[in-house]
Amino acid sequence: MTSITTTTIESPLVPVHTTGWRGGLANLVRKELGQWWGTRMWWIQTLIWVVLLNGVATVVMLEGAGRPPEELVTEAVQTFLQMGAIAIGIGVVLTIQGAVVGEKELGTAAWVMSKPVSRASFVLAKLIAYSVGFLATALLIPSIVFVVQAQFLLPVPLDYGRFALGVGTVALSVLFYVVLTTGLGCMFKGRGPVAGLGISLILVGQFFKGMLPLPLVLATPWLLGDVAASFALASTPDFNLMVPIIVTAAAAVALVGLAIWRFQREEF
Amino acid sequence: MKTKVVQNQSDPVAPEATITESVIHIVGLTKTFGNVNALQGIDLTVPPNSIVGFLGPNGSGKTTAIKLLLGLSRPTAGKATLFGMDSVQDSLAIRSRVGYLAQDPRFYTHLTARETLAFTARFFYRGPAEAIRARIDETLELVGLADKADRPTKGFSGGERQRLGIAQAQVNYPDLLILDEPAAALDPVGRRDVLDVMERLRAYTTIFYSTHILDDVERVSDYVAILDHGRMVASSPTAALLDGDSTTYELTVRGDEHAVLRALRTHSWVSNITTASQNGSTALTISVTDERAAESGLLRSVIATDDVVVAAFGRKHFNLEDVFLQLVKDPGE
Repeated sequence: MTSITTTTIESPLVPVHTTGWRGGLANLVRKELGQWWGTRMWWIQTLIWVVLLNGVATVVMLEGAGRPPEELVTEAVQTFLQMGAIAIGIGVVLTIQGAVVGEKELGTAAWVMSKPVSRASFVLAKLIAYSVGFLATALLIPSIVFVVQAQFLLPVPLDYGRFALGVGTVALSVLFYVVLTTGLGCMFKGRGPVAGLGISLILVGQFFKGMLPLPLVLATPWLLGDVAASFALASTPDFNLMVPIIVTAAAAVALVGLAIWRFQREEF
Repeated sequence: MKTKVVQNQSDPVAPEATITESVIHIVGLTKTFGNVNALQGIDLTVPPNSIVGFLGPNGSGKTTAIKLLLGLSRPTAGKATLFGMDSVQDSLAIRSRVGYLAQDPRFYTHLTARETLAFTARFFYRGPAEAIRARIDETLELVGLADKADRPTKGFSGGERQRLGIAQAQVNYPDLLILDEPAAALDPVGRRDVLDVMERLRAYTTIFYSTHILDDVERVSDYVAILDHGRMVASSPTAALLDGDSTTYELTVRGDEHAVLRALRTHSWVSNITTASQNGSTALTISVTDERAAESGLLRSVIATDDVVVAAFGRKHFNLEDVFLQLVKDPGE
């Protein structure tokens, strides 16, 4: 260890004065994004989702070569969007179950919160980075690959605008599960309840949504895969497409508020 | 050994400092976890540019108190102000002026030491990349991590993490450094280095640190606060604490010790005398009830005794270990 110097009047370093709920947000977002894009994580995630989603879509497209063109497009788009909504949701829960809990356990959350950082910034930074990360690697890139696949393997062209609307609906589903998992991480001290509740919500929806009353199912994100396929294929289901979208968006916003409220009461 | 020290449960470390002058001012700070009273109404004032050693046995509430100061936890009752700001309401503004080292510092393992410091620094200041880099290099050099600057912290030993913890705590030129056991994981050389750093930083900042290592406190601390079972059992300038209560004297004589004892026992204000012989000398520890009478008459009466040579005389100085053990001894003992 050697000498110490201090800042002088000529120091080019300028103090950062961030106050209120945004304190430290930009720096935290930068760090969280760095964890996605500055490590192997982005290409591993991309590889997983391209192999899974586009692999299955390829199989569907190749196996249906002799079927009517519209039927083949419908099946390929439905498979891609509906499977995307479920599989990415599960992937989100499994990947970020420890994002908040792990930091609480390890002590890095306490360390960060000893800096001029608001509790809201800590939660929001995770939401922003994980949303961007998953939307890009698990949805946007596979969707682009799907469009390219469709050009080569489907007998009729896709309606790109409608397909984008479907992808946007799946994006809402992804955002919901990012918020849900992060929120559960703020509420619980262990990974078990976070992963258990998150995965259960997805699986219960898939297995039981046909048995439950429609008004109840409409108040969940379970139908977003169907809504996405309906948008992409211009089909008309027997429910209002906007209801699951509005309910899910509202639930996501409420969960963000709940997560921040809970994390502000966290004692380290 | 029986020592008597000032036990002070309500007076702060530096009672002369006003709230506005003080860096830390704590009044009646209380923290309860369920049925456990971790802190029971502690008071403390820390003046600027001082080094305050915060002592106490394991579980005495030191880390709890530190977390309350930083806003990492909320008090059950009482109040703490730092730089005149409330620790709960103004926590963000307070933390922008504080550097903190946790007891077991943990960092993001995918970041290198340099990246960790850059991440920390960005919370506090911005500027040209080369200026920030220079500050980080200087800080790494300060804690002896320059050669490991670009290694991910995942592979760091406990001592290296501790050094990085000290680096990140002062990378922002804090007005107050709060260090929770800064030397606990360090080898003797590392410990000495940390104390050197603390002494050098004294000119620029106030240091409030908890520790178990009493020698360190005696060496660098201006003030000592001792916590036991959530209560502040002593808080005082270090020198005053070690000087004791001015009613105990040490005397070393050669010659007829019995004559000395007879002379001393003629004084009504001498309450207790203990003796220990060593190498032909006799060491006496004399407790008195009248300090002024003792100062004027004690040495004189010994010198007046025939066949006795006074080798040493003075007020008894305690070492911190004596004081600490006296204050925090188990009530059941």
